[in-house]
Amino acid sequence: MVAAELLSQHFELGFTYTRSTGPVVGKFLTGLREGRVYGVRGSDGRVLVPPAEYDPLTGAALGEFVEVGQQGRLLSWCWVSEPREAHHLQQPFAWAMVQLDGADVAMIHYLEAPSAEAIRSGARVGISWAAEREGFITDIRCFTLLEGAAP
Amino acid sequence: MAERAAVVGIGQTRYKTRRNDVSIAGLLREAVDRALEDADVSFADIDAVIIGKAPDMFEGVIMPESYLADALGAMGKPMLRVHTAGSVGGSTAIVAASHVQSGTFKRVLTVTFEKQSESNAMWALSTPQPFSVHLNAGAGGYFAPIIREYIRRSGAPDDVGIKVAVKDRRHGARNPLAHLQLPDITEQEVRDSMMLWDPLRFLEACPSSDGACAMVIAAEDSITGSKPPAWIRGVAMRSEPTMYAGREEVNPQAGRDCAADVYAQAGITNPRRDLDCAEIYVPFSWYEPMWLENLGFAAEGEGWKLTLEGATSLDAGGDIPWNCSGGVLSSNPIGASGMIRFAEAARQVRGDAGAHQVDGARLAMGHAYGGGAQFFAMWIVGADKG
Repeated sequence: MVAAELLSQHFELGFTYTRSTGPVVGKFLTGLREGRVYGVRGSDGRVLVPPAEYDPLTGAALGEFVEVGQQGRLLSWCWVSEPREAHHLQQPFAWAMVQLDGADVAMIHYLEAPSAEAIRSGARVGISWAAEREGFITDIRCFTLLEGAAP
Repeated sequence: MAERAAVVGIGQTRYKTRRNDVSIAGLLREAVDRALEDADVSFADIDAVIIGKAPDMFEGVIMPESYLADALGAMGKPMLRVHTAGSVGGSTAIVAASHVQSGTFKRVLTVTFEKQSESNAMWALSTPQPFSVHLNAGAGGYFAPIIREYIRRSGAPDDVGIKVAVKDRRHGARNPLAHLQLPDITEQEVRDSMMLWDPLRFLEACPSSDGACAMVIAAEDSITGSKPPAWIRGVAMRSEPTMYAGREEVNPQAGRDCAADVYAQAGITNPRRDLDCAEIYVPFSWYEPMWLENLGFAAEGEGWKLTLEGATSLDAGGDIPWNCSGGVLSSNPIGASGMIRFAEAARQVRGDAGAHQVDGARLAMGHAYGGGAQFFAMWIVGADKG
C-alpha cells in the first residue's frame, strides 16, 4: 500500500488596528511628549510610575496625578553585552529598574553606561530625553549615570 | 439547578461609533460601575468575574482578559473568559448564571464588550486559510444567500426586511443608549439605501458600535438593590458545525433544540402566547422572520406574516414585541450584543426599560447566535421566581 501524500501549506495573516490610551496612560504619554513624567497616587498612597488606570490592589479608578522627578535611584540592573538589532541602544547597555524621585515603585528602561563596572545598584540616574518626542515610552531615550553622585 | 439565580444589576454604556476617549479597560469599567451601582454592591461583594468578547483578532489583543483583572476588580477572585463568536454575550451570561445556579458563587459579575472602532471585525471575521474556501465577504455576505433561500422557500414578499429595519430603528429611538437614533426613518429610505449583499441593503444591516454591557447575577439569598430582580427561569446553549454539505442553514437544528430546551425549563408551551416580549439577535433584517420560525413563534414559512402584521412592533401594539431596545440593528458592539439582548430582556421584567418598556412584562426571552449561525444561547427571565 502506498502512503497518501498529506498536503500542508505555509501562510501569513495580518490586520491593521487602532488603540486609544484612555485618560491615565494617555496623560502619562502626553506628559512624556512635553518632557514631564506623571505618576498616579494609588489607593494605598503610593505613587505609581508609570501610572495604572485602575488600582492593582483594589480596582479603584485612579486619577490623582503626581509629577515626579526626572532623576532617581537605580534599584537593580542587568548588563546586556551584545545588543540585538531590536534594542534601541546599539552599544552595550543595562536594563535598569529606576525609582524616580517622588515615585514609590520602580520602572524598567535602558541605562546607558560605559561599562558594567561603572554601575552600582543605588546609583543616581537621570532621564536622557529623545531629540524628538512623540508621546511614547521611548521619548525617554534612556537613563544615564549622574556624574559625581556616589551611591 | 440547585439554586435560584437572578439578575440584580445591569449596566450599559451608550453605544456609539467611536469611543476614543477611553481605553478598552475604561469602556468596560463604565458598564461595570453602572451594574454594580444598579445592584447596590461593590467589588468586595463579587465572588467571580466572567468576561466575554468576540474573537481576539477583532481588536488584535490576544487574551484581553489578562490586562483587565484590575479594571474588573478581579484581584484574588476567579476570572474566566468565554468564547463563542457572535453569541458570546449570551453564552457569557449563561456561564455566569450557571456559576450561581450551581451554588459555587453567591454573586458573579459578568461583562462583555467590543470596540469596533479600533478593530478589524470585517476582515478578521473570515480569514483566508490554505485549502479552504475564503469567504472574504464579512457576515452580511455569508448570510445573504441563506436569506435568499428563506425567501425562495417561504414566498415572503420583498419588503419584509425593510419593515424590520424600520421597526427596530423606531424602537431604538425610544432607547437613549441605542447607537442609531433614527426616529423618522421611512421604508422608502431603507429601500433607497445601497444594496450591500442582495437582498440586504445598507439600512437592513447592523451598525459597527463601541460599547460594553455588564450584569450582576446573584443567588436567591444574596439579592440586593432597590429594583426587582429578574429571575432566571431557563438557560440553554447548543452548537453545530458551521459548514458541511447538506446542512440546514435557514432553520438550524441547534437553534430549534436550544429553544425547545429553554422553553421546557421555563414551562413555556407556546412562546408567542406565553412570553411578553423578546430580545432576539437580528443583525440583518431578514433574520427576524427566520428566527420567528426557528424559535417557534410562527410555523415554518409563516414568520414573515407576523412581521407584516406588526405583531413584533411595540409601536403597532403587537402582541409579541421583538427588540424593543432597537436590537442589534440599532447597536452592535459585537462581543456585547448577545449580552445586551439578555440584559434588555431582564430590564423588561424588572419594569425598568424606560420608554421601550412593554407594559406589564412578566416573562421575556434573550437570544444570541454566532459563528455561521452555529452557536445559540438563550435565556428566559421572569418577574416571578417560577
